[in-house]
Amino acid sequence: MRPDGSALPVLHDWELSAGCYAVRLMASLLGVAYHKALVDVHPGGETEGAAFRALNPRGTVPVWVEGPLVIGDTVAILGHLAATRDPSGAWLPREGAAFARTLDWLAFAARRLPAADTARLHAMAGLATGMTDAAGAAREAFRALDDHLARQAVDGHGFLAGPTPTVADIACFPSVALGVDFGEALERSPKLRAWTRRIRALPGFVTTPGVPEFL
Amino acid sequence: MSRTTDPVALDDWYVVGLPGDVQAGRPVTRRLLGADLTLERTADDVRVTEAASGRALPVQTAYGHLWTTLGAPKRPLFAIEEFAEADRRLAPCGAVRVRASGLRLVENFLDMAHFPFVHTDILGAEDKPAVEPYDCEIRRDVDEVWATNCRFWQPQAAAHADGGQMSDYIYRVASPFNVLLYKTCPSDAGRQDVIGLFIQPEEEDVSVAHAFVHVVDAVSSHTAIVHFQQTVFLQDRFILENQRPRLLPLSPRAETPTRADMSSIAYRRWLKEKGLRFGIDRRDAA
Repeated sequence: MRPDGSALPVLHDWELSAGCYAVRLMASLLGVAYHKALVDVHPGGETEGAAFRALNPRGTVPVWVEGPLVIGDTVAILGHLAATRDPSGAWLPREGAAFARTLDWLAFAARRLPAADTARLHAMAGLATGMTDAAGAAREAFRALDDHLARQAVDGHGFLAGPTPTVADIACFPSVALGVDFGEALERSPKLRAWTRRIRALPGFVTTPGVPEFL
Repeated sequence: MSRTTDPVALDDWYVVGLPGDVQAGRPVTRRLLGADLTLERTADDVRVTEAASGRALPVQTAYGHLWTTLGAPKRPLFAIEEFAEADRRLAPCGAVRVRASGLRLVENFLDMAHFPFVHTDILGAEDKPAVEPYDCEIRRDVDEVWATNCRFWQPQAAAHADGGQMSDYIYRVASPFNVLLYKTCPSDAGRQDVIGLFIQPEEEDVSVAHAFVHVVDAVSSHTAIVHFQQTVFLQDRFILENQRPRLLPLSPRAETPTRADMSSIAYRRWLKEKGLRFGIDRRDAA
């Protein structure tokens, strides 16, 4: 229970999920307390079951439950945490170009980086993939991020949407940092490696198994 | 590569999955020692066939897993007596593929020195890195490698641990690709949890690890146990995939052991005696 008597929010979590890691990382960076409900995704297949589908009909983790609110998508959870727990507003800029850039790279995370998560879970756990070349698609996405960060560097900006980190960086970080799990150690992406170092240096950063310390 | 010709590797039992992996009408494929296998559900059992030859392979279900062999094992599958104890819970922790020799996985499993650095604040603490002397022997009567009287300080020894403990370990290499450990049970000091790693060597340098725990733990949820082991194993996987060479060298000069590596030295000597070739770095073969 929180001091005001309300229950803590609950993260339905799987340690190996890149999306769950993004939520754990965002919560830690913002100092958000929550309970974990562990989901046996592999080998248990719990996300396929009726009980879990009743909670999240999409059958995916993470799920964030806060009172009557149930959020079933990583990017939406990150946005929600930033919108409600960050008085500075820096993690989710509301104004002008910074707002647009943050949404732009959030959308990139949602559209292009699931390929990396698919390639990773296939390499690690043999989980079925509907994609023909998930690793190739992931490498293309990593290249696009590396190119963008090179352009940002010209403007003196170290993060995806500007000079300070936003939810977009946190949405992208897990898939990129865990690329080593399917053999993509970012050897040809120097800007991306430097960016992962900047994120790992943020106060409140937490790691997850597989995030390399040598990038 | 195609199926290995190494008779030592062929003439042994290997885990290829869980009985529940194979549903009626949905055959699954598995790889073992360079050979493709097909697993199908029959009326009351699972049938395993070698794809290239169409040959039906021997199958048995033991310790909650499906076992098969491509050769002619000279002895029955090793016994794990704790599986006769009814109050234990078996939690298979999910197959995980690792790009490394299965023998590297066994060595990593035997190693205590990495706990504080790879499993920081779980199986070890960085301010308590010492591996105390322990005993190690090749037991000729059962043809297994045992390391006994192992002790290590662990901040969180298991999913159900409530604070740190000095854990007592016994390690047991039951066959070249199958390894177990017996460890002080945090909830009952008089008994030991069993944790095991059954390795399905797909290629010489690609392995599928079937980790399981068989514990006396009335408290933790099944999922909590599985997540704990997955976290620990994923920390290992990352290290294992970055070890070079990927195959295990047996020459004493290839890698420099310390006193903490006694179990690994015994394991390598035992493998050399067996004449195993699969998964071994043969560039330095003497």
